[in-house]
Amino acid sequence: MTNTISALPGQERYVAPIEETPLRAVDAVDTDAPATSMWADAWRTLRKNPLFIIAALVILFIAFVAVFPRVFTNLDPNYCTLDNSRGAATAGHPFGFDLQGCDIYARVIYGTRTSLTVGIATTLIVILLGGIIGAIAGFFGGWIDSILSRIVDIFYAVPLLLGAIVVLQMFRSSTSIWKIILVMAMFGWVSIARIARSSVLEAKNLEFNTASTALGSTPMRNLFRHIIPNALAPVLVVGTTSLASYIVLEATLSFLGLGMPSGNVSWGGDISTAQTMLRTQPMILFYPSAALAITALAFIMLGDAVRDALDPKSRTE
Amino acid sequence: MTENTNIPEPILEVKDLQVEFNTSAGAVKAVRDATFNVYPGQWVAIVGESGSGKSTSAMSVLGLLPGTGHITGGSIKLEGKEISHYTQKQFEAIRGLKMGLVPQDPMSNLNPVYRIDTQIKEALKANNIDITREQRIKIAEGLNMTEAERIAYENVHDDSDELFLGSDKRSALLEAAKKAGEGIISDETFDTWDKEWTAGSVTRWNVRHDMVKAGIDEKKAEEIANEYVTGSSMSDRIAGLLDEAGLPDAAMRARQYPHEYSGGMRQRALIAMGLAARPRLLIADEPTSALDVTVQKRILDHLHTLTDSLGTAVLFITHDLGLAAERAQHIVVMYKGQIVESGPSLEVLQHPQHPYTKRLVAAAPSLASKRLESTKERAEVHSKQQESGHPENISDTVISVKNLVKEFKVPGRRELFKAVDDVSFDVKRGTTLAIVGESGSGKSTVANMVLHLLNPTSGTVTYEGEDIHSFNAKQLLDFRRHVQPVFQNPYGSLDPTYTIYRSIEEPLRIHKIGDQKSREARVRELLDMVEMPQSVMSRYPNELSGGQRQRIAVARAMALNPDVIVADEAVSALDVLVQDQVLHLLNDLQAERGLTYLFITHDLAVVRQIADEVVVMQHGKLVEHATTDEVFNNPQTQYTRDLLDAIPGGKLELGLD
Amino acid sequence: MWKYFLRRVLQMIPVILGTTLLIYALVFALPGDPVVAMFGDKPVNQAIAQQIRAEYHLDQPFIIQYFYFLKNALTFDFGNTLRGNRPVIDVMAAAFPVTIRLGLMAFVFEAIFGVIFGIVSGLKKGKWYDSVILIVSLLLISVPTFVTGFVMQYFLGVQWHIFPVTAGANPGFIDLLMPAMVLGSTSMAYIIRLTRTEVASNRTLDYVRTARAKGLSNRSVIVNHILRNSLIPVVTYLGADLGALMGGAMISERIFNINGIGNTLYKAILQGESNLVVSIVTVLVLIFVVCNLAVDMLYAALDPRIRYA
Repeated sequence: MTNTISALPGQERYVAPIEETPLRAVDAVDTDAPATSMWADAWRTLRKNPLFIIAALVILFIAFVAVFPRVFTNLDPNYCTLDNSRGAATAGHPFGFDLQGCDIYARVIYGTRTSLTVGIATTLIVILLGGIIGAIAGFFGGWIDSILSRIVDIFYAVPLLLGAIVVLQMFRSSTSIWKIILVMAMFGWVSIARIARSSVLEAKNLEFNTASTALGSTPMRNLFRHIIPNALAPVLVVGTTSLASYIVLEATLSFLGLGMPSGNVSWGGDISTAQTMLRTQPMILFYPSAALAITALAFIMLGDAVRDALDPKSRTE
Repeated sequence: MTENTNIPEPILEVKDLQVEFNTSAGAVKAVRDATFNVYPGQWVAIVGESGSGKSTSAMSVLGLLPGTGHITGGSIKLEGKEISHYTQKQFEAIRGLKMGLVPQDPMSNLNPVYRIDTQIKEALKANNIDITREQRIKIAEGLNMTEAERIAYENVHDDSDELFLGSDKRSALLEAAKKAGEGIISDETFDTWDKEWTAGSVTRWNVRHDMVKAGIDEKKAEEIANEYVTGSSMSDRIAGLLDEAGLPDAAMRARQYPHEYSGGMRQRALIAMGLAARPRLLIADEPTSALDVTVQKRILDHLHTLTDSLGTAVLFITHDLGLAAERAQHIVVMYKGQIVESGPSLEVLQHPQHPYTKRLVAAAPSLASKRLESTKERAEVHSKQQESGHPENISDTVISVKNLVKEFKVPGRRELFKAVDDVSFDVKRGTTLAIVGESGSGKSTVANMVLHLLNPTSGTVTYEGEDIHSFNAKQLLDFRRHVQPVFQNPYGSLDPTYTIYRSIEEPLRIHKIGDQKSREARVRELLDMVEMPQSVMSRYPNELSGGQRQRIAVARAMALNPDVIVADEAVSALDVLVQDQVLHLLNDLQAERGLTYLFITHDLAVVRQIADEVVVMQHGKLVEHATTDEVFNNPQTQYTRDLLDAIPGGKLELGLD
Repeated sequence: MWKYFLRRVLQMIPVILGTTLLIYALVFALPGDPVVAMFGDKPVNQAIAQQIRAEYHLDQPFIIQYFYFLKNALTFDFGNTLRGNRPVIDVMAAAFPVTIRLGLMAFVFEAIFGVIFGIVSGLKKGKWYDSVILIVSLLLISVPTFVTGFVMQYFLGVQWHIFPVTAGANPGFIDLLMPAMVLGSTSMAYIIRLTRTEVASNRTLDYVRTARAKGLSNRSVIVNHILRNSLIPVVTYLGADLGALMGGAMISERIFNINGIGNTLYKAILQGESNLVVSIVTVLVLIFVVCNLAVDMLYAALDPRIRYA
């Protein structure tokens, strides 16, 4: 090795002028930036995401329609006369009439509430049930985890649609919309439980839990104060996206004649009855389908946007 | 010969290089006006902290800038050819062949789904390498041979001399060599041959040279070499490359998957890969930072020998000034995207001129030679005890570990794994005891048992004379008040959903100390103590740097006024300057408050700055226990000597001014 | 590898037992007496009813009935239908082939198009065709399958006469093409999204950069490193979906009037043929579980880290 006394060209001793390379304090704190938590950070990202803005506006609008249908129509969706059967659009009836002669516009407006209720209620139950079971399995581990995981496996082996069909056909006489919510929740909680379990497991192994234990915290306190808040994000993201799939599934079940009892106005039910007129009057099928698709799309887009904001790694843009 | 012909052409010339990244906040300059040269056969080091632009500079040479990074100015010349404007297609032709990469993190740089040999084969195939013979860089271009040597070398060399030995004829060659050398060569020589004549790595010329050197007739040697050394197969060459990189049992190991390799082995595979196509320039981006010091030293030693013999130039990226000075002839120091100082390594190290370099040299633990002196007054711990009136009740020993054993179940194995094997030591009041060891030494397991986070299989840990593992819930809570931890990972030990205020307040809340108001006052006081502005209270950990988080972790540990702090690799993840800052903080706190530290680290250099006593652990056993001076000046065991030896730059003489 | 396989098979047993028990319990909790239903409008002869109950073990406690069911199922004896008294196994044998054909066609459709579009999208993020692919896949997910089915039936069948409108009794390849596309459409959309995310995130991994540094051509890097690794989760998803497709065939079969297992199940439910329902669902669940097992095996074969864990 050459221990160069005289340096090679371009390797002479060089010291940058100090004015051009000012030194800063070691590890100075930047006190100007606004305070951000993971959630505040996510919110800031979301606000700039057009996908999120569109989705959020659509959802707000849909929610408004669901709560105040009368603002949009003063017609009764269940007031149907066969005189109007398959009537074309007229003033005051922009979408026309269906086979029974009900006003399609009014039915689409009132169907919003059913779909949204089903989607939101199912998602809430699923998140609670799946979240708690998954959290218990992940947190306690050992034999509790083994048993719960096997139960999850058993429910997971029944495809959602099949399971729902089998159960719903027993309650065909019931007229409550809760039956469909409960049945979907019964087979839907497993996917949330799996996610909750793995994210609790992940959060449990993070060092701040050990740190808190060493500070004197109890395992239970750790679970509620540290683990659950940190494991929440993936569960919420999947929950939002699956809300859309519950709305779609409810429609599918209605299509099979197993969904909403006839007294309820439901998009799925209307699509189902419209199928017979597909060849002659496809628009009867179009309106409720479009309403359904827009609603589902908005929730999927919201879920995507929230996921991207919370986990920049999986960003789709 | 004129002066001019003696000056070689640089293999890499970087001039006024500018690199920018596009972010949502606009363009960010990552590298500004970087200028440096690398000559054939030379090691040049770029030194800097994280974010200094050192890796970015190196990656722009390879045309592999991540994300939105792009070159906005300056020039990069490889062998005199401008490459800064090259398209990816053009880069493909020179990557691997002209310049190779040994990347930083051995865990993520190998594709987990392919066997090691497949991944090396790719490098050979992509560059159309003739695997039957060595692709030697023209030695004349290297700096490592005198003119006479070069002529002698070239005279005896022709192309067939570079043919590799194949595994099929290896045993026949050894047999023939043994027969020819009967009565002339000793058994030892023969054993050396058996070991060194690796298929796919040793050439006809090497074999002939070895035999002639051992005394076999020149003609006979040539005859044997020509008959048996006739070129290698692909798998021979792959095994040969891995062997050259220092991987034991290379032929068998080549068939394994990355996850079956240890970190050190993966790094060797990456070195074999980077050098597979015999590039003229090797870019080594912190190639050993993730490894234990002794492994690091072995791998770098090996890489050095290998690149010297091949004449490869190395652009070496590191954060460790000592390491850079030890390995490279020329050093480039970068700070915030700019080069602040460059020059011959020893000169820069011994006479740093830029204030940043001075700061870096002063903070480098590997170069420091004594314990930190606190500017604050050292508390008189002992005299305080006298005053308290019960001197006989307070012993010198705060924590005592006796015959500690911890066994773990290993999945898939019947016998238990002894992580900690019969370890005993005492920690004296107001002092620092450091436990040093490499990964797998059991040092962190000991720390967790002292913290009552793990139960020992046998043996005891006593705090103030009482066995902590016999404590009931109330006693345990009281113990936790007095013994506090600071953990390794500054990104993991603070809950990201908690504000800094809540994080520091948490221990006060758990132990139900004070009301809202007094707790807030205490948090403010603690932030002052760790020299953090009080305005960070409302912030979240993700907004702070690693060093700042670690200071918050120290503040949290101090909240309850503990007697003992167990610091598990508390400064290991930090940049040199930040590490130095945290070490000073810990040292000042100890001086002011008479704290007792149990300091767990893999870094002996840090130990010298902070510890009074050292315990060295290896494979779960305590191998040495003495005062810090004793361990550094007069190590008793080979392992400790190896550890000391492996401190990068430890042996450099610093005539500091 | 074999040890792993054996462990997975053993783990499958309690799942199958539990799942069949669950379905059995759900179906036989049905209100109404199936034996009484058999008599239809005729008056119930108690003696004969009793005889039938004994024959079908309907007088036994529930759990015993389940074990009889399980025992018979192991010998492919699922009993007879209540109406018409046909062996259940025959009914299933008549209906399954067409569903299997439909399912496989849907599978091939979603696998090919899902993966291709996903790769194109993931490699060329931000290009206009990426956006188009993304929007179409979002639409396919948010529109229920039966609406997609109606729309395709209306345009491709009724309006433009590209495909037969319904499949009919003995459907051939062309007849099943549109139903298969409908059946596979939602999964295809999910596969596009999954492949796109995987490809895009794998592109920036360290070992991909290292592969480029070795001098590999862009093509080899994409094929050997990015795609190979990205497709592991996609293959897993596909495998699990193959099992689910059979169960999901009901919608497609209803719309296009195919006499497959889905339609048979649907009719069985409407007619209260509990024995037939349980048998069909059991077989469908078994297919699902076996497909999942196959996926695990495939996963292990594709990813050495699993194999040796």
